[in-house]
Amino acid sequence: MSRLRYFARRTAVTAVLIFLVASALFLFFRLMPGDYTSLLIQQGMDPQQIEALRRKWGLAAPLHVQYVRYIVNLLTADVGQSFRYGEPVWDLVAPRILNSFVLVAPAITATYIIGGLFGAIMGRRRGGYLEKSGIITVSAFHSIPDFFLGIILIAVFSSTLGIFPTSGMLSTPTSIMIQDQPYWRRFLLPEFWKHYALPFATVMLYFMQYPALIMRNSVVEVSDQEFLHYHRLKGLPESTLLRKIIRHASLPVVTLYPISLAASISGLVLIEIVFNWPGIGSLLVSSVLARDFPVIQFVFLVAAVWVILGNFLVDLLYGVLDPRVSVSGSDGE
Amino acid sequence: MSVAERVRAYRDSDFAIIARRTLRNLLSERITRFAFGVLLVVLILGVVGPMIAPYPYNEQQTTASGELMRYEPPSLEHPLGTNDRGEDVLSRLLIGARTTLITGLLAGGLMMTVGLSVGMTAGYVGGKTESLLMRLVDFMYGIPFIPFAIVLITFFGAGFYTTIAILGLVLWRFIARVIRSQVLQIKQRPYIMAARASGASTPWIMRKHILPNIANMAGLFFAMGVGLAILEQAGLSFIGVTDPFTPTWGIMIRNANQAGRVADAWWWSFPPGIMIALTVLSLYLLGRGYEGGGDDEVVV
Repeated sequence: MSRLRYFARRTAVTAVLIFLVASALFLFFRLMPGDYTSLLIQQGMDPQQIEALRRKWGLAAPLHVQYVRYIVNLLTADVGQSFRYGEPVWDLVAPRILNSFVLVAPAITATYIIGGLFGAIMGRRRGGYLEKSGIITVSAFHSIPDFFLGIILIAVFSSTLGIFPTSGMLSTPTSIMIQDQPYWRRFLLPEFWKHYALPFATVMLYFMQYPALIMRNSVVEVSDQEFLHYHRLKGLPESTLLRKIIRHASLPVVTLYPISLAASISGLVLIEIVFNWPGIGSLLVSSVLARDFPVIQFVFLVAAVWVILGNFLVDLLYGVLDPRVSVSGSDGE
Repeated sequence: MSVAERVRAYRDSDFAIIARRTLRNLLSERITRFAFGVLLVVLILGVVGPMIAPYPYNEQQTTASGELMRYEPPSLEHPLGTNDRGEDVLSRLLIGARTTLITGLLAGGLMMTVGLSVGMTAGYVGGKTESLLMRLVDFMYGIPFIPFAIVLITFFGAGFYTTIAILGLVLWRFIARVIRSQVLQIKQRPYIMAARASGASTPWIMRKHILPNIANMAGLFFAMGVGLAILEQAGLSFIGVTDPFTPTWGIMIRNANQAGRVADAWWWSFPPGIMIALTVLSLYLLGRGYEGGGDDEVVV
């Protein structure tokens, strides 16, 4: 199979996968017992009003009609309105996605750079004290529940030492003050960075394990290869050697980066709750409890598409970065 | 067959030989010996913990004058102090050991069963079956676990065993992936071809030639699965969507955090947090401590 056909096939599979996920999400949420109106009934709302609401939200139509409507709306980029707030889902979710992204993307990126370097050094000091204690340290940070890690950091740096604020993204007076300014302006405030430090540190410590351990394994493998003996015979200093090794060993870490970025969505929920960060995770939890289906469904769709696209990019990257990877296998093995 | 013969037959079976070799490997390292020690302690606590707990876990402790003992720091009567409701923290910790153990073992076992079946079938049978199964695994990887679990729990109710089932039926994905890649390699070995050429059936080859070769890796991934299940269950407890009547370590941390007493009443939240971390770390170290143990896979 030619490379072009492989890419085309992979793209088609990805598109089908996204479509399937969207359908599965629709079915899954409609099969859940009770919709948003059942909460309103509990709150003692008039049945006639509820019937009107159900009609207004399109919940009264048969399932297949709802499904077709849902797919058509998705294709025209209309993701509906929040039951809870009556606002368009997109307006509600977009700033939250941005907030989560602002937290997780730099944190994971920094984790991969620092963790990768640390892993490379561990791999070069094979069997030494640094390697052994390093492996245990990064594993330990991944074994402490991420929410507990956050709690410890808050207890130490906020409650006891009082260096950082305990939660949120901005203090209330500041967020009222800047609400008329463009949204991105808040990310430039020093106050934002103070709120940012602890969640950032939590994400970093928790996710450090992957790049560090994988880089270590990869470096150990590469270190046994012959071209390195040649470089050493040439008399290259260790720092140059390390750079050459890293270039050869970084492929597994590079390909893992998008996957990790995607997978962190799940862990992010807990960290956002602990720090009261106004991101997608805390929105999701509160929406689930309020049965606000349009919001939940869309957040899930975003998360799933994010993961699928991540895997897709990894497959393409593999082909480009490492020409040895054969594209003749059935699934790009 | 007499009992002695059965014992001897078991001792000489492939599995027993592999298990002994793996165990010896693991025990030769100081780190993994430490991990074994911790797990042994947790196991014993899980079995006898509720019996040796000094007080009923939900009994509110009072002083001699009948005053409720809230936020009592550690003392001889209450080695880990008391919490906001005046309950003995040590007793709650000991009760929690059992729920943690049950969660880990059951969910880990479930993950192992599904992951091993899917991974072995995909790896050995190949073809369309493999594509289909691996797309299923990809699909499972697309599920962000914590949000998905919250939705399922609001759907099915927050029972203790419901949570375990959800953990087990979603998190098997990483096991399936690793087992499949391992089986793909083993499949190429000459003795498998020889067995197939001499007419051995697929179930026979899987059981006799493939399973023993992935048994040690499967065991290590079981350890990691148990660790992952404990960690995720603690997370769900912390959010507050698990059964509130089953005392778990995660719920203890949640309560302390909700009461805003993490920093000053440290004896309340730190013991369960440290117990979770130690247990999970030991399980992860066992899973990774053995070199070449599929370390390039991400546990998500």
